[in-house]
Amino acid sequence: MALCLPLLVCAPACRRDAQAPPAPAPKQSVRATLAEVKGSVSVKRATGDEWQAAVNGTTLFDDDKLRTERGGSAELRFPSGTVVVVSEDTLLGIAETRAAPGRPQADVTVLRGAVDATLDRPANQSLTVGTPAATVRAGREIVFQ
Amino acid sequence: MSQALAAALALLASAATSPPPGETVVRPGESLAQLAARTLGNESAGRELLAFNHLDGAPAAGTQVQVPGPERARAVAAIGSARSAIAQAPAGSARTEAEARLAEAESLLARARYAEAAAQADGAWKLLAEARDERSHFAVAVEPDGRTRVAVREGVPVRVEAQGRTRAVRAGETLTVARGEPPGTPQLESATGTSPPEPPILISPEPGLKLALEPAPGGLGPVRFAWKPVPDAVGYVLELVGPRKQTVRTTQPLVTVPGLPAGKYRWSVQAVLSDGSLGPSATRAVQLVPGRIKLEVKETPWQ
Repeated sequence: MALCLPLLVCAPACRRDAQAPPAPAPKQSVRATLAEVKGSVSVKRATGDEWQAAVNGTTLFDDDKLRTERGGSAELRFPSGTVVVVSEDTLLGIAETRAAPGRPQADVTVLRGAVDATLDRPANQSLTVGTPAATVRAGREIVFQ
Repeated sequence: MSQALAAALALLASAATSPPPGETVVRPGESLAQLAARTLGNESAGRELLAFNHLDGAPAAGTQVQVPGPERARAVAAIGSARSAIAQAPAGSARTEAEARLAEAESLLARARYAEAAAQADGAWKLLAEARDERSHFAVAVEPDGRTRVAVREGVPVRVEAQGRTRAVRAGETLTVARGEPPGTPQLESATGTSPPEPPILISPEPGLKLALEPAPGGLGPVRFAWKPVPDAVGYVLELVGPRKQTVRTTQPLVTVPGLPAGKYRWSVQAVLSDGSLGPSATRAVQLVPGRIKLEVKETPWQ
């Protein structure tokens, strides 16, 4: 019985883990939240090696990775209100802290595939999208916000 | 002395005589313009370099001078953003005021007052962005060969940086950047090759329809949105604006939303093209009300 008790206590937490990738240790600020998850969408935490299925409400932090397979899509919703729609067959990184030398930190780094971004209030929002070839900046320069 | 030891000593000597980061030494025969071009990337910035170093005249060879750091880069980026926003702004009082602020920002930059220059330029940019009061909408696609394609659908220009150069891309323009190369010249979308795609032909709900629906998770439902396939489209973006704002990405020409709060909605569809950009949109209005009967009402201006 003593051996069974920890299993019973663990059960609810284990079920949660099966639905969404575990969030990293606290104290990191949430960079974006997933919504409108369709098809095969998975997340790899900065601290982990495994891809895990993503669900609506999954929170993303610095250096997490997001991957959509063919037919999959999702929305990244940033605290500023900026929305980034991630197309199928896309691989991207979130706020990578180890950006290439000389390259500014991007909110999203697209390594493969496509994203579609909307800033409803660009006078008060900003978004930086990095790619292997360029850095795209939209909205107000972040340093002035 | 071995060659390796000689190389190591030479490296040490070089490290000892190299100026620290943020400083440089004027080379023999180097003019002020050449010094400015080497350190700031702009041969016209000699006066600014003198102001930054509190010098009255061109420094002699061997003089150690300070080179501005990130604070200048921020000011230059803000001035670039303001310039591109002004170039696209319609004539009017907001543009006139923004131009005056930009001129002041450039003057402050020339006097090496970077924080003030950045603030003035940002003020000019914000003035125009708020005056336009429209959202910014753009797409970024990474091709299999590593090229990046940026397409701006609407709103203020976005800035594309690569290899130390920045280009503003305006609404209706696309820009492609190859790896390791600076950004090229933005192209109007209609000038990039094939003719522009047609907007999707919407099928249902019909224009101006008042849909009576039963309670469902999230409100009333289900609501089925359908349109005719667009040739060469790889997907579609359905956008709902109303009591609930929702964007749905799909590869099929239909979307069924399980439930929506009652009220009036505008729904629009855009095709996703093979380069990741979005085609023109088609928009309709629909009203969702509780009940079981489907009622036709007169058409609305959304058609």
